[in-house]
Amino acid sequence: MKRHILDIKNLQVSVDGRSILQGVSLSIHSGEIHAVMGPNGSGKSTLVYALMGHHQYEVNASNGTVAIDNELLLNLPPEDRAKKGLFLAFQSPIAIPGVTVSNLLRSAYQELYGSSTQGNDDAVQNPVLKRRWNSTKMTFQEFSKQLKHYAKALAMDEKFFSRGIHDGFSGGEKKKLEILQALMLEPKFAIFDEIDTGLDVDALKHVSQGIQTLVKKGTGCILVTHYQRILQYVKPDVVHVLVRGKIVDEGGAELAEYIEHHGYGKYV
Amino acid sequence: MSKQSPIDDTYKYGFSKPERYVFKSKKGLDERVVADISFQKHEPEWMKRFRLRSYEIFKRKAMPTWGADLGDIQFDDIYYYIKPTHDKARSWDELPPEIKDTYDKIGIPEAEKRFLAGVSAQYESEVVYKSIQKKLQSQGVVFLDMDSGLREYPELVQRYFGTVIPPMDNKFAALNSAVWSGGSFVYVPPGVRVELPLQAYFRINAANMGQFERTLIIAEEGSFVHYVEGCTAPIYTTDSLHSAVVEIIVKKGARVRYTTIQNWSANVYNLVTKRAKVEEEGIMEWVDGNLGSKVTMKYPSVYLVGRKARGEILSIAYAGKNQHQDAGGKAVHAASETSSQIISKSISKDGGRTSYRGLVRVERGAKQCKSKVVCDALLLDEESRSDTYPDMQIHEQQVAIEHEATVSKIGDEQLFYLQSRGIPEGMAESMIVNGFIEPIVKELPLEYAVEMNRLIQLQMEGSIG
Repeated sequence: MKRHILDIKNLQVSVDGRSILQGVSLSIHSGEIHAVMGPNGSGKSTLVYALMGHHQYEVNASNGTVAIDNELLLNLPPEDRAKKGLFLAFQSPIAIPGVTVSNLLRSAYQELYGSSTQGNDDAVQNPVLKRRWNSTKMTFQEFSKQLKHYAKALAMDEKFFSRGIHDGFSGGEKKKLEILQALMLEPKFAIFDEIDTGLDVDALKHVSQGIQTLVKKGTGCILVTHYQRILQYVKPDVVHVLVRGKIVDEGGAELAEYIEHHGYGKYV
Repeated sequence: MSKQSPIDDTYKYGFSKPERYVFKSKKGLDERVVADISFQKHEPEWMKRFRLRSYEIFKRKAMPTWGADLGDIQFDDIYYYIKPTHDKARSWDELPPEIKDTYDKIGIPEAEKRFLAGVSAQYESEVVYKSIQKKLQSQGVVFLDMDSGLREYPELVQRYFGTVIPPMDNKFAALNSAVWSGGSFVYVPPGVRVELPLQAYFRINAANMGQFERTLIIAEEGSFVHYVEGCTAPIYTTDSLHSAVVEIIVKKGARVRYTTIQNWSANVYNLVTKRAKVEEEGIMEWVDGNLGSKVTMKYPSVYLVGRKARGEILSIAYAGKNQHQDAGGKAVHAASETSSQIISKSISKDGGRTSYRGLVRVERGAKQCKSKVVCDALLLDEESRSDTYPDMQIHEQQVAIEHEATVSKIGDEQLFYLQSRGIPEGMAESMIVNGFIEPIVKELPLEYAVEMNRLIQLQMEGSIG
């Protein structure tokens, strides 16, 4: 398995002209689990969205860098960051009615692992060509088989495949769908934004098993969280404490436990 | 002359073929032209008189003062009748090559291979190609172009023609009644179910040419038929007028579905009157897609005249640059326990304008009626516009009327979500738009659904690139 590195150096981000992240640095390798913990308003969401490239988050690109294996990400649109291997599991993913889960997964997979750069025009002119499966990484049959396999592992009914993305999904179903996408799209690095909120114990188990499977496949995972609940199920290799836009402490899994018992009082 | 037309490459279906005509009326309209059309078609005297009377009404009627801007229509600059070839072809092989070529491009032979029940394609003002499968004939189903219908079934036509939409209805219905040509005549005998959709394709192919087809569908008691009409039109240099009339009679317990996809080129005025009269326990369903044209004014209507009659109108409109789609639906409840549903979805982009215009009327004495109106508009940018003009005229107490309207902008968050999965912005946008209209697209026959999605995608990707 090839080892990749996601390297965040001195990331500075502001929102509406207000500085939120004031130079965040962290590095993560394939197969590692990192937790970024912090109280409300510490800049966790800003970190998450800025990494994925949301346009409302203004990055000071003259100082900081974000790179996967030395390929710089900060000047790329979100879709190209995804193509470099970055994935974001949203805290409250938005519903997209009428766009089915299977359409999303098929389209995204082929964008990420398409076998050729055939022009969109051709595809539009010829619906047969457009619908032809375009990936050499997996055949369509393998893809479908894998999708069913992971859905089963997450205890998701296959009827979800034909529903609109997150349309009418419960809190737990939304989180599972985010994990399902991560499993199918096999990113080099995945960021999980408050993945444990609103989950009952069963769903939490399924979600954390999903993350562990992902780690075994080599994905580096960053769990961004307020509480350490998820960390009882998914043991982090490194814990970073984010307070007021800066990493103020780092340590192993025991740091998460310390915060669980003592809160963030020591840092603020 | 088509070669001189500037080719607008944003309009992907903008091709036109050399014209080949047998007879072309002079430009503009007067009594002579109207009488001449009737003469050329060897029509019975009553139809000639109907046309002339309609022409008088057309002259008297004022232009509509509401709706879209129709100020640029030059009635004197239009050919009202063009007859392309002497005889109608009976089979595909007999079609002239350039006509065949045109149909090849819009994929009719393929469509036919997909077990279509029959193909009736209108080229210019006249239906030139038709194939009716033996099964239809054995069921007693009549599926003809309107001219042949008048010739072969004069009593039926005389009994129903102009009864649902009289020439007095509006200026453009009067115009169509005066100069109509082509269109379809469908008769379904009692109890007969036509399992496969009847399809008609047509396109305008002469610059400055008006298209005035006339369709009459009669579904007898307990019968069922699905009629599908789709059109794509080539590019012209000057404004064109399309003004059709569609009349449908749904008898007791019968069900008719009428599906249209309109994709006229961006210089066409598309002013169509469509109405169904629905008798006891009958069901009428309009599925209406409006993508092209400069201006569309079209409000498929259901007149529910028998107890428990039901009408459904599904409408999608897409307005791009310089387009105004003024569309919607009309449900008139004239009997008790009747129900109606109007669902309208519109998309505006690049400064395009969509309007929903709808009427629900419950007549006095029509008790326990139900109606639901949902209109959702999606705006893709700040320059585009959408308006809603719902009209409710309720003259009874015991009614259940629902009305919902939403206007949304394509969500930044939705785009970001799809982009974060590796999907480029333009594609993400067309996925969201296709998702928005999905509830209506899923009601379309498969090949139309595919075409609809493709057309939306062309529109989206063309401008984002």
